[in-house]
Amino acid sequence: MGWVCEMVEELNVIIAGVGGQGILFTSRVIGEAALRKGIRYIQSEVHGLSQRYGSIHTEIRLGEKVMSPLIMEGTLDLMMALEPLEALRRVRYMCKKTVVVMNDHVIPPVISYLEKMEVPDLQEIIYLLRKVGVKKIYLVSATKLAMKAGDPVVANSVLLGAAAKVGVLPFTKEELMSSLSDLSPERFREINLRAFDLGYENVSEI
Amino acid sequence: MEAGVDVVSAYPGTPSTEIGEAIASIAEKLGIYFDWAANEKVATEIAVAASWSGLRSLTMMKHVGVNVAADTLFTLTYSGVRGGMVVVAADDPQAHSSQNEQDSRHYALAAEMPMLEPSTPQEAKDFVKRAFDLSEEFRLPFLIRSTTRLSHQRGMVLLGEVLPNRKKGRFVEDEPYRYIQVGRIAIRHHKELNDKIERIRREVSEGEDVNMLEGEGSSVGVVASGVCYAHAVEAIRKLGIKVKVMKMGMSYPFPEEKFSEFVRDLDTLIVVEEPDSFVELHARAVAKEVNPSLRIVGKKSGHFPSVGEYSLGLVIKGMATALGLNYKVPDTEIMDKVSSRAPPRNPTLCPGCPHRSTGYALKRVLGGKDAVILGDIGCYALLFEKPFSLAKVSHAMGCSIGFANGFSISTDQPVVALIGDSTFFHAGVPALLDAVHHNRRMVVIILDNRITAMTGHQPHPGVSYTATGTPAKAIDIEKFVRGMGVEDVYVVDPYDHEKMEAVLRECLNKEGLSVIIARRECALLTVRRVRRSKGRIVSYRVDPEKCRHCRVCITMFGCPALKDTGEKVEIDPSICFGCGACASVCPFEAILPTEGGLNWLRDGLGV
Repeated sequence: MGWVCEMVEELNVIIAGVGGQGILFTSRVIGEAALRKGIRYIQSEVHGLSQRYGSIHTEIRLGEKVMSPLIMEGTLDLMMALEPLEALRRVRYMCKKTVVVMNDHVIPPVISYLEKMEVPDLQEIIYLLRKVGVKKIYLVSATKLAMKAGDPVVANSVLLGAAAKVGVLPFTKEELMSSLSDLSPERFREINLRAFDLGYENVSEI
Repeated sequence: MEAGVDVVSAYPGTPSTEIGEAIASIAEKLGIYFDWAANEKVATEIAVAASWSGLRSLTMMKHVGVNVAADTLFTLTYSGVRGGMVVVAADDPQAHSSQNEQDSRHYALAAEMPMLEPSTPQEAKDFVKRAFDLSEEFRLPFLIRSTTRLSHQRGMVLLGEVLPNRKKGRFVEDEPYRYIQVGRIAIRHHKELNDKIERIRREVSEGEDVNMLEGEGSSVGVVASGVCYAHAVEAIRKLGIKVKVMKMGMSYPFPEEKFSEFVRDLDTLIVVEEPDSFVELHARAVAKEVNPSLRIVGKKSGHFPSVGEYSLGLVIKGMATALGLNYKVPDTEIMDKVSSRAPPRNPTLCPGCPHRSTGYALKRVLGGKDAVILGDIGCYALLFEKPFSLAKVSHAMGCSIGFANGFSISTDQPVVALIGDSTFFHAGVPALLDAVHHNRRMVVIILDNRITAMTGHQPHPGVSYTATGTPAKAIDIEKFVRGMGVEDVYVVDPYDHEKMEAVLRECLNKEGLSVIIARRECALLTVRRVRRSKGRIVSYRVDPEKCRHCRVCITMFGCPALKDTGEKVEIDPSICFGCGACASVCPFEAILPTEGGLNWLRDGLGV
């Protein structure tokens, strides 16, 4: 179709979390970065009812060879999770090449209290992800850092900063920051960029 | 825009809403007329009238919205159009945000409305443009059928030039009785419609650019439509197989001749489509004529599921199995065992949601009473979930009051209908008229959160502004309902749990009809306003000294910000909106505002 394309064959990314955590916004930032760099991308998301504080994720596919908007099981390159249980819920997409970047703030759903379910804590989630055999797991205190930056809603930008540091995405820190800056509503621009930096500086492999 | 559309009207519904949101954002700049109508039928009629005035018009709706508009559409194909008119039906296989996964392609066939099915974001634009031109050429409305995975896909799209549009047209009757449909006139127009469809089949469907053939030299053929084409192409690539492909961009009218040629020499035909068998049914009929020994792989053969949406993995697996290929699909069974450790997280009412308070009061008042609680379409439908378990029925727009009419006749149980403000305007009004007229025994609770919330906050007739932000006459639900003849009308702020419970108790003891308007704006709007005015959202907290872990806040209220540590309840400050609605729920007054925090009820925020 005449795009000037960077050489990316196929890169599959999922951003998962709880509805309301700003997953759609972060996905748009990555899509915008791809657009600016001439990397072909397809992104699939869900809106409406399914979004209200339920489990949600977006699927982002970058590269010349992708056609389907949905990622095949066992082919995920990068899992960005704003909530650890939501990473665990999607292990069917993971494989030996998957890198997980995860917020450490667990939010058990209310139903788990009502039904007295046993909810795995962060350590157990990490143990299960390891058992599945993912390549690497990175943690970032996205919610805590976002609150430190001034508003828990920017946890998504902390996570994006962390993902930028990890390096699976085919973008430089500056490229992601400039698309984050341009897509941010005016009153959130500064805090989003601050959050991004905090994520970039405070992510660590475990 | 590139088709120079003049008039657009719609009712919001996932996954079609974003089209309207996008048009609303540029309507003023480009001089396009756009509004959110009271329902899909009204929206369609606005678009039809624009077309009959010679303008180009568009309406879009979710799949179940087509049911509402169907009455108008089925006769519209007899009358035909003047300016190009396009109807977008956004199907929702997997019922992500819907009550069913009905397949709009059947409507094309039933209403004799030609249909295009884009497969990619690029085609989603190009086909609409094409549909406008074809609509004008053949003087018929054109249906664009999309599915969630196309509707909610982002990708790169090459843009064309934006065409100028016109502000006004003129209604002209091209020929006598053109727009009158009855008896012999209708029959004449039906015949004319059949001829048009046959011409469209020959000139468009059989042509080169909507139903395309790819690949050659194989005895295996794949036919796919919509987003399934994208899955199929990638599946073929990943499997490394050589097959013939027919991309079905127009399955109604069906390209019988082209399809006959396609399947004539095949051994195997794989049909990839969702969620119903539409192409497959046609394929079976055609194959019987031209290639009776053709093996058809699809839903009926069991290679693909007949419910739910398709995915890349599913299409690869189906194709590999059908062709006896050894393709290693990841073992999702073990993976699913691991992921089952994550507790389910279904959609739930947001923190601060006024519907939670209404549900809480209703649950308390009813106790264990065996009432018939009827839900409707909107966020409050989630009151069927725990901890409320209130609504036993949730069907289609406006059904709550309609069903309530029937239950008040058929049972002696207390009958309560829950309906949102937007849903009330959309389809609740006729049912309430019926209840008033017959003085039916029921309590109708209109959960008035001042917006169409679930689809992302679109205005409705009860709001004082339009889709494009111009001032509008807001219909006062209280006056309206009184005007309909309801005598017992109450307006209550749902956060005022005590008052809400008192009113509910009173209404449930009545013999006749009463209406409670539970009025408080959607909490997401209140939060947005606080943030915009540079105010801070300050979370509530639980005093650990006072909390006795009775768990009433969790078992009766269940806000997602509440956290049970096993010994105490805590509030997650990253989730809490600081509304304070839960404070009055705690019997030990352990839920308290943090310094600098607000109490929305006391401070009059959100009403």
